Amino acid sequence: MIILSKLTDIFEYLAKRHRLLPWLLAYVLLLPLPFVLAGLFNEYLIDLVNRICLFILLAVGLNIVKGFCGQVTVGHIGLYAIGAVTSAVLSLEPGGFGGALGFGWPVWLAIPTAVMVTAFAGLIIGLPSVRLQGAYLALATLGLGESVRIFIAVTPALGSSTGLMMIPSPSVGSFTLDSFTSYYYIVMTAALFGIYFSFSILRSATGRAFQAIREDTTAAAVNGINVIKYKLLAFVFSAVYAGLAGALFAHMPPGYLHHNNFTVIEMVTLLLMVVLGGIGNVWGGVIGAIVVAIAYDQTKDLVFYFMDRPIVIQPLVFGLSMVLLVMFMPRGIGGWIEDFQRNRRFIRRSEERLSGSTRNT
Amino acid sequence: MALLETLNLSKSFGGLQAIDNVSLRVDENSVHGLIGPNGSGKSTFFNLLTGVYQPDIGSHISFNNIDITNKPAHYIASQGLARTFQLLRLYGELSVLENVLVGYHPHTKYGPLAPLIMGAEVRRQDKLVKEEMMDLLEFIGLAEHAEIPAAELSGGQRRLLALGRAIAMKPKMLLLDEPGAGLSPVNVDNLMATILTLKERYNLTIVVVEHILKVVMATCDTISVLDHGQKISEGSPTFVKNDPAVVEAYLGREMADEDIRAAMNS
Repeated sequence: MIILSKLTDIFEYLAKRHRLLPWLLAYVLLLPLPFVLAGLFNEYLIDLVNRICLFILLAVGLNIVKGFCGQVTVGHIGLYAIGAVTSAVLSLEPGGFGGALGFGWPVWLAIPTAVMVTAFAGLIIGLPSVRLQGAYLALATLGLGESVRIFIAVTPALGSSTGLMMIPSPSVGSFTLDSFTSYYYIVMTAALFGIYFSFSILRSATGRAFQAIREDTTAAAVNGINVIKYKLLAFVFSAVYAGLAGALFAHMPPGYLHHNNFTVIEMVTLLLMVVLGGIGNVWGGVIGAIVVAIAYDQTKDLVFYFMDRPIVIQPLVFGLSMVLLVMFMPRGIGGWIEDFQRNRRFIRRSEERLSGSTRNT
Repeated sequence: MALLETLNLSKSFGGLQAIDNVSLRVDENSVHGLIGPNGSGKSTFFNLLTGVYQPDIGSHISFNNIDITNKPAHYIASQGLARTFQLLRLYGELSVLENVLVGYHPHTKYGPLAPLIMGAEVRRQDKLVKEEMMDLLEFIGLAEHAEIPAAELSGGQRRLLALGRAIAMKPKMLLLDEPGAGLSPVNVDNLMATILTLKERYNLTIVVVEHILKVVMATCDTISVLDHGQKISEGSPTFVKNDPAVVEAYLGREMADEDIRAAMNS
């Protein structure tokens, strides 16, 4: 707790000098991470960190629509799929393996196009939110998201059951970013920018409009907020995050996509990240993404033998932890963070008052 | 001059005629009272004016010489018609300051995408607006609670905040739905005093729904009385107080005149 407090002190001090300094410091601190991991453990961990960065992008994006704006969506993973497949198909060479579509676009052009396509798809996934709320909205978005996956699974041009292979890696000049380490710098930068922009949105009138809609839609409308416009905007924002995460996932080594990456289980994992992180809290979502991604990775191959029959226990563990979290920690890690920040503010204010009164006497 | 005017305003929910052909004028800079027994349609009337409900065909509402019939709520709000709710509907998890900042939303000078592309300008604007909103909070006496979540305020403070959030919209007209509900008589008097100061300071026209007749009688220039969705009386407080139709609506036919006078004056 004391270390955390000191660390917050340092970041707050830097933020006072210049708003971007803490972000710069975080970036610099994260630069040597792959070398540290490779030195201490193994290369595989860098791949895990890369995937964590993508999950952070997904979770932070989902937090905008679900956490800030209060719209329950279960179609986020479908947007991720759209981003991934669009970018992959655009960048693949024509006449590729197994009848997969290919347009042969440069990767750096395919990614932004995929993000824009996903943003538009986000608008469509958001349309039910105009009329539906809560569980009904969840069902509608689940249907849309899952239909995206099934469409991919049955369309040979999009990979169907074999998946898309040999998706090209992005390159800078003559240097191809096809190793875990080089790709780390792309996804880490993307994740940091994602977090930063999420804060920019949250702390503006746009973010306040989202939150007002979450807290009380009728009051928000009467306060002059165009509810439909802002709901759809939240979906589009989150779709941009999902699209970027998807596109980066497609080009990540080994450059292979399969529709199994976009199942409802993945969506539940994503929801678990946001719930564990504390709905509506940006840093909570980031921590949730890290914790759940590591837990996901560690329990993936965990098999329990019952009467000599193997039972994969990961879905059980995840399902159970979801239930327990919602029951006993409804505010998630974000709740702790908020309490921590409030305590600090309270202590600081009491100290100010105390020093003020000693000056007076 | 009439700032707000309704013509043949009607609203039915299925077979229930909640508002029945109500025509009403509210003059600029007046305090207009709206009274009536429970279920007489006062809140529905507000919901129709502010676009929360859509009125039946044939109804007309004009505000500030603009036709606002069937317009969406956010459009009506941006024209300068603000309201409070009987159950307040504050943004509980947002701080007190954020609540009034949301009220300021129609006057925000940057678009919804601006935070992503011109962060510096957005922060500069927000800083100015925050200062302005802190002044408002100072005025209504909530400045020292600016940082705490609205849900943690006391009942009286919440009523003030609801008022502050509506004032932050810089409205021309303010609709108050039972501002004094749940307050002790002393607090109600204080609240009404605050409302009247706010009216002078921000040059407001006020329509107030209130059950505490003493308050309405003391503060309103004109009073309209609703019963079963119909306007049954209208006029100065003294006129309304002595109108047999009003007395009947409130207390029924059987009560003696003396009892009624006593009840109305208490």
